[in-house]
Amino acid sequence: MGIVILLLMLAGVGLMLTRKLPTAFALVLLGVAIAAVVGAPLTGENSILETVLQEGSIAQAATMIAVLIGSWMGKLMAETGIASTLVRKIVEFGGDRPTVVALGVLVVSALIGTVTGSAPAAMMAGIIGIPAMVAVGVPKTTAAGTILMGIAAGMPFELPIWQFFSTTLDLPVETVRGFMLMLFPFAVVFAVLFVLVETRRKGVEHAWSLAAPAGDRSRKRAKQLGDAPWYALLAPLVPLVLALGFELPIIPSMLAGVLYALVTTTRPRDMNKRLLRTLYGAFDIAAPPIALFVAIGILLSAVTLPGAVEALNPLVTAISPGHPVVFVVVFALLTPLCLYRGPLNVFGLGAGIAGVLISAGIYPAVAVLGLTASYNQVFGVADPTSTQTVWAAQYSGVSPQQVMVRTLPYVWCVALGGLIVTAATQL
Amino acid sequence: MSGSAVATLDRLGRARRERLRAECAELAELSDVEFGVRLLADTPTHENRAPELLRRWASVATEFGAGLVGEGRDRAPRVVERAGGVEQLLLAKYVSRPVPTVELFTDTLALGEELVDLLGWRESYADGALRAAALAHEEAHLLLHGDVALRRALRERLGHTALRLGRFRITAHVAGADELVAHGYAAASRGLGRSPLLLTAALASAVRALAQD
Repeated sequence: MGIVILLLMLAGVGLMLTRKLPTAFALVLLGVAIAAVVGAPLTGENSILETVLQEGSIAQAATMIAVLIGSWMGKLMAETGIASTLVRKIVEFGGDRPTVVALGVLVVSALIGTVTGSAPAAMMAGIIGIPAMVAVGVPKTTAAGTILMGIAAGMPFELPIWQFFSTTLDLPVETVRGFMLMLFPFAVVFAVLFVLVETRRKGVEHAWSLAAPAGDRSRKRAKQLGDAPWYALLAPLVPLVLALGFELPIIPSMLAGVLYALVTTTRPRDMNKRLLRTLYGAFDIAAPPIALFVAIGILLSAVTLPGAVEALNPLVTAISPGHPVVFVVVFALLTPLCLYRGPLNVFGLGAGIAGVLISAGIYPAVAVLGLTASYNQVFGVADPTSTQTVWAAQYSGVSPQQVMVRTLPYVWCVALGGLIVTAATQL
Repeated sequence: MSGSAVATLDRLGRARRERLRAECAELAELSDVEFGVRLLADTPTHENRAPELLRRWASVATEFGAGLVGEGRDRAPRVVERAGGVEQLLLAKYVSRPVPTVELFTDTLALGEELVDLLGWRESYADGALRAAALAHEEAHLLLHGDVALRRALRERLGHTALRLGRFRITAHVAGADELVAHGYAAASRGLGRSPLLLTAALASAVRALAQD
């Protein structure tokens, strides 16, 4: 039966890779199919309808709300000019030194990455950041990579991600926070290294171009925005300080960030209108990840059914390395399997595999956290199918594959660092 | 636009050629400074700047570039010629690594020369002037890239402030100003009658016309 489940998973990967089905639909289909082959009843305890579809679909509810509020704050930061002012100031201060500008944009991207992820984060930092870097001579692929590496450097402190790992792996938020604090230095060091090495290696580039960027809609929109006041630029730090420094729960911390961004940039008479408009806009931004989290919940519920655990346990036990060194070597070599929506992508089938590893008792949940969070650092930057990578590459005028080739060595090192920390502390 | 080999204005029908002529005549009526203003306005970080400020910066940067003519250069960059510029909307490119190199896109240059003939602009752009201007433009980037004092002088001339604390002041970088410096240098050093930016805008119109044809 275990083999049948693995074959189903393989078929699911095939459907996602060939884009026959969107990832969310493929995961739901996979969840139902797994429940069916392990003999789960249609209704009742551990059933397809009640356990997998009903309970599974809302299992990630806290993550979905965190993602929505993150998108809300992102939308506010974009609409009030907080994000664009941050980038503009960086360019004005560091302007004729491409490395300094790229490092500045990296910091801004990291700040934005702590608030929200995916394409909206890349857009917030990149709409001004990418052409600004290109204008001072940073080559296009390096510019796109800088935005993505920056967002990934902020990712260990992205509160919705904490919520996701906490819910998915059934771990307290404090445990997730503890591991993320250990992962953060690797993400930062390799992000800074990326900028320093790549700007040195590739030098500067200036093009006499015939392209007329005047028609760009996003710039026209930016034209209507003024500079945000300096104290409003601290908005991305508010949720972080509350959740990390004062150990407040995630959702209230993020709501405080939304309020801070609002009151520091908006006249009282415009507050209601702006708050509602940006909230509704946030639903559009958050729709794709929320759909994915519904599907992940369903898949997780399916692979943790008693029948599935029983079937998969011997197989997974046989192939999972137990020795810490072998753990690091094997999972580091398998890192590319999280690319192209591969089986180790934690926002896809990887979540199911993580569920199996925990429910079968192969590794402690915190070790699985280390594994999946490390892979997440790779997927978030170098996956040519992830929305932020596609957006950043296309906006820079290069291909997502070029960005993958340039960034993969660095994020692979971040993952390796995370795996070593995991093996050293949890195995 | 399917490829550089077909980038010739002979392909355009009579009506489209006339429309292109009219578009370019309209462009020619704009002042050189106006092209600089447009370039700055399209450069990120200047979304909220007043047109008067952009006009002042455009004039200052272009004059600064013209003033660089005759500045000594230790070494000339390597020059590489290649095709594919029309497709990428590029006329020339400067890369500092592995060695300072100017890439000239021959198909775009050829299209530019053809366009100058079509428009009767030889008075402003002599035969072969576009290639020479492209080389000079990228030389200017090399000059700026390798000289911190020159860049500081440009910032001082532009006079934009990033931070002021009492008497302490940090001059701000004006994004896009270095492009105008390079164009100013190219125009002055090669004796062009009009800004290279006019020809750039006309070339962009020509490429659009070819793509629509």
